Amino acid sequence: MDAIILFSHGSVLCGAERNVMAVAQRMRESGAAPIVEVGFVNYTEPTFAAAVARCVEQMATRIVIAPYFLVAGKFVTRELPGEIAQARREHPSIEFAVAAVIGFHELLADAILSSAEGARPPAAHSATLREASAWCREDPKCPLYGSDVCRVKLRVAT
Amino acid sequence: MKALLIMAHGSPRPEANDDIRRIADVLRARGTHAVVTIGYLDCNDPDIAAAVDECVAAGATEIAAVPYFLHSGKHMLRDLPEILEAAAVRHPGVKIAMGDYIGQEPQIAALLLDRVQAAMGRASSE
Repeated sequence: MDAIILFSHGSVLCGAERNVMAVAQRMRESGAAPIVEVGFVNYTEPTFAAAVARCVEQMATRIVIAPYFLVAGKFVTRELPGEIAQARREHPSIEFAVAAVIGFHELLADAILSSAEGARPPAAHSATLREASAWCREDPKCPLYGSDVCRVKLRVAT
Repeated sequence: MKALLIMAHGSPRPEANDDIRRIADVLRARGTHAVVTIGYLDCNDPDIAAAVDECVAAGATEIAAVPYFLHSGKHMLRDLPEILEAAAVRHPGVKIAMGDYIGQEPQIAALLLDRVQAAMGRASSE
């Protein structure tokens, strides 16, 4: 049985991973593979190894890794092969394949035009930064850490 | 006149921008915007402010600025809006609007599935 792992960087901003989860959900709903999981390199869980374990638990026999990266930088060319080598040692019967990075694709032009159609005043975007506090992990690396919407600050205040 | 400004992160490796330049060419060929340009947040020229100025110099009265980013974060939610707001102050007669980052657009999931299917085809034929 085929599984897809969406391989992503992760973020220090609380809640930023929700978008990657939403992309995975869209892929799941497409029915392209019975299993779609997300594995992060840094900051965010689940890790890549945890994502592989979830696929194996669901009886995957082949895992295709889709890098959620624009270009094949060091995370894709160095870290990912290391993670896969480790996963192969732990799960020798599973077949692994790696898909190409986002790179160049005609659909990117459509995505850009779709974004442009929904363009709104720039300040509307900065207002959404405050929403991150709803998923606060109290991580000092978060750009909101210690700000008036960070849970740490709110707890001190109360 | 409408301009489309693609806001990319930029990279110390200039070849990392080759794909985005090809995508800008595709968009120019589609002809939806009279001007299609790229502005970089860091490392490469033109920066976003200079790219806005170029659009205005070319006659743009409306600029749609699209973040070529896969993730939300401080660039998307703080740096890019600040740069565009400052540009709007410099060009009061020009309407400058900002779109969602492309990672939020549904085409990205379709694109990734296309990449997955190509990889499955390669794996099966081995």
